[in-house]
Amino acid sequence: MTRTGTPGRTFEQRAHVLLGQPSIGRNLGSALDTMLGTRAALLAGTDLEAMRTAGEQIRAHTIANLAGYLEEWSEKAEARGTRVFFADTGAEAVNYVRDVCRRRHASLVVKGKSMASEEIALADALETDGIEVLETDLGEYIQQIAEEPPAHIIAPAVHRSRGEVRDLFNRVHGTDLSDEPARLTAFAREHLRAKFLEADVGITGVNFAIAETGSISIVTNEGNGRMSSSLPPVHIAIMGMERILPSFRELTVMLPLLTASATGQRVSTYYNVISGPRRPEDPDGPEELHVVVLDNGRSAILPTEYRSILHCIRCGACQNVCPVFRQVSGHAYGSVYGGPIGAVLTPLLRGMEEAGDLPHASSLCGACTDICPVKIPLHEHLLGLRRDGARERAGAAERTTFRLWSWAWSSPRRYRLFARLSRLGQFPFARGNRVRRAPFPLSRWTRGRDLPTVARRTFRERWSDRGA
Amino acid sequence: MERDAFLARTRERLLGVEAPPLPVELPTTFATGDGRLFDRFAEELGKVGGQALAVRTFELADRVAELAEGCTTAVVAPGVGPFLARVEEGLRRAGCRPVEPSRELAEAADLGVTGAALGVASTGSILLPMGPDAPRVSSLLPPLHVALLEAERLVPGFEELFAELPRYAAERAQTVLITGPSRTGDIELQLVRGVHGPVRVVVLVVSK
Repeated sequence: MTRTGTPGRTFEQRAHVLLGQPSIGRNLGSALDTMLGTRAALLAGTDLEAMRTAGEQIRAHTIANLAGYLEEWSEKAEARGTRVFFADTGAEAVNYVRDVCRRRHASLVVKGKSMASEEIALADALETDGIEVLETDLGEYIQQIAEEPPAHIIAPAVHRSRGEVRDLFNRVHGTDLSDEPARLTAFAREHLRAKFLEADVGITGVNFAIAETGSISIVTNEGNGRMSSSLPPVHIAIMGMERILPSFRELTVMLPLLTASATGQRVSTYYNVISGPRRPEDPDGPEELHVVVLDNGRSAILPTEYRSILHCIRCGACQNVCPVFRQVSGHAYGSVYGGPIGAVLTPLLRGMEEAGDLPHASSLCGACTDICPVKIPLHEHLLGLRRDGARERAGAAERTTFRLWSWAWSSPRRYRLFARLSRLGQFPFARGNRVRRAPFPLSRWTRGRDLPTVARRTFRERWSDRGA
Repeated sequence: MERDAFLARTRERLLGVEAPPLPVELPTTFATGDGRLFDRFAEELGKVGGQALAVRTFELADRVAELAEGCTTAVVAPGVGPFLARVEEGLRRAGCRPVEPSRELAEAADLGVTGAALGVASTGSILLPMGPDAPRVSSLLPPLHVALLEAERLVPGFEELFAELPRYAAERAQTVLITGPSRTGDIELQLVRGVHGPVRVVVLVVSK
């Protein structure tokens, strides 16, 4: 089942498709408000600022010493029997996992939730090899049978109504389930339980690796991370190279920052710490543990002004507050990372050529920066990437337009003149107080956004009347 | 890519980057507990749909018998240690057969009984280091998980938990912090308890 994303080469094209399905924005909006409400209720009365400051400092310290902590971690991990593989590219990571699966003659792989594995399209590659790959996080499972990528980092199917999920289940499984979430969940539990027990390989992500003990750790609520890392004879964890902390002490702050920001919980149901495959004396657990450490464009960000994007702990809070994301969902961003984090990270990982339009998918309101648990200046990064893009791409026409614009607006007399001219000129195009379709070259703006009309009477005019 | 080349390139790309030190003191979080340990533990575990019961050793068999009512088989992890005889007595009284945990038996069992190394009052969490005395399946596959925690092993919050975790992480292949029954909100954010792990979690906090 190869999953196809929303059609369209650019954000604008994909957003256009998604805006044509109003149920997406509606389902998303109410769900994200609930998530934000739960988070706010949990955080009321806490010193959130102190936690965010500590979170920022911990992440900045760790990333600035990334090589040292990765070295310490990998030595400790290997000493405990973990097989560590450093992957420069997504293809290298995928090939490594394929080799392990081939050696183990795997025919069924169960997957816990992992954004890094989505990033490298691991499931698609394994399916090409004839392996059945099953997503086991409920939201990811729903998206998998819908043949669609996840729409949100934390809640992959949050844009769907229960009725849609019921129809999907009944169509795929030939069942006659009701739309009650408890009933649908119980069905998925039973269906997936059999697969967990049968699987040859379990694949998960990593939330935090801990250098001092060479451990990895996984944060989940459903228990799929525990299942995937406990029942199959082989466990493979895919981890972005930045997903590390010096010691467990930092988790005192980092774990609650993550769970509060992601789902409004004090702590997730399961916090699973793994330090190697089963020991000889253990009654159960995987015989092999592999951890794939993924660069895939990350280390190239280290020397740039955007380094702090690697501080991200993938909580998804910036998506929940983003006025753009809330209308179009993660599918508009053309990568697994949607919202402000995706609009910054994707162009840095894949290049401006391919994703340089994403930083424009923002109102620069700064809500993302305000909510980020590790204080990443997301909107400043968005602005910086726009500037980089303009430097690389802007043609003579665009440059001349903005030079003229700046000339027109830099004297009060010319400003007044142009305001009056636009008021007259907008007349044939205005519908209510919006211009939805303007003539060229302004049409390039109105293709993606509405333009507010110039007021009937400007502030300056009203001000001078008041004096009279 | 070779490990050394990977690390060397990372190091090179960080040349000249100044690193702030780690915070000397960490701020208070909402996972910081206060003095009334059992009450707080029971309150927090209750909030997430779990249950905590304070039990004296001599009452243990009675409590277990009540919890096991209607169950036919229970996997009992050897980690319940000194409480094993009383747990088995309670199970038998309820007509529930205690068996040693294997994957097949755990999958068929109604109930899994385990020990717990630590309880965290501020979150209602219990810490389970997996190992020879604690098979992973016993707290994972049965729909009901009953954990026995010695009352002295209750700590206020995350500070104490994360001070002890390195020791377990160094010795054990897997250590899990469990906070209530497994849950999801993936369909319209409606909370549903009992996804892949247990549907019900009861912690017996045992004191002499």
